Amino acid sequence: MLPGAALKGLVLCAELALVVLPLIVGYEMAKAYGVFERPWKRLRPALAVIGLGPGGLVPLLAGVFLGLLYGAGILVSVSREEGLADSERLALAVFLVTCHAVVEDTALFVILGGSAFWILAPRLVMALGLTAWLARRGRSRL
Amino acid sequence: MSAEHTASAPAGPPWRLALGRSLGRGRKFLWFLLINILPLYVASDLLVSSGALAKISGFLEPVMSLWGLPPEAAAVLMAGMLVNLYAATAVAAPLALSWQQISVLGLILGIAHSLIMEAVVVRQLTPRYHALTLLRIVLGLGAGWLLALVLC
Repeated sequence: MLPGAALKGLVLCAELALVVLPLIVGYEMAKAYGVFERPWKRLRPALAVIGLGPGGLVPLLAGVFLGLLYGAGILVSVSREEGLADSERLALAVFLVTCHAVVEDTALFVILGGSAFWILAPRLVMALGLTAWLARRGRSRL
Repeated sequence: MSAEHTASAPAGPPWRLALGRSLGRGRKFLWFLLINILPLYVASDLLVSSGALAKISGFLEPVMSLWGLPPEAAAVLMAGMLVNLYAATAVAAPLALSWQQISVLGLILGIAHSLIMEAVVVRQLTPRYHALTLLRIVLGLGAGWLLALVLC
């Protein structure tokens, strides 16, 4: 029983490693080439809808792709440097607690046989919906 | 971590630097799998195959059936919320779950995982991190319940 369990456990670890190791290389490459730090001007109108100014883009992308823990360095330092308003920080936090590390988190459950669509799409919709609602509420108060 | 972000002007092309960092992180990740995830999987496998987990968690059946999940899946939710998603994966793998059940777990835990560790990061963004942690649990369980209604 024990050797069988250990063998199956090793197979699971190998599967996790096969998925996550390439992701780690990809994240590091993206960070080294500043992919998350480009201005991506076309996204600005979309950012405004969820209550973020142009300064919120880098922390948002870092959180969505790298995750809260691994992206924390970029996330926290950039939101300080850019001097994000309290409302922007809240929007960022609400979006990211609902939806972050989208590739890695989804992949883990797809390895076990889950559906990528049903795991990811509802998170994205909720994150967008909540932040857009917060932003509208904020504007109507002014 | 913020030092890593600001100190970005060392020698060598960016890809070499990135590769070096990936090797370090990759090695740490492999150790994490072998030292933490493998033993957790083995423990979960033994608890599942011996029927002990089913016995311990049996009383949760009325609650867990709300999400179309077997009572044992409560252990997966605990591992994911309190530790991290890798722990949840290790506990979930030995359970014979359908793709629908895995998707429900993936959605709940995708929203609400590593709650304590991540609250530390959220706290740097907003003082309302308590409310946001609660929001994650409510949203996660709510979304999972709806997904279970749709899929099952």
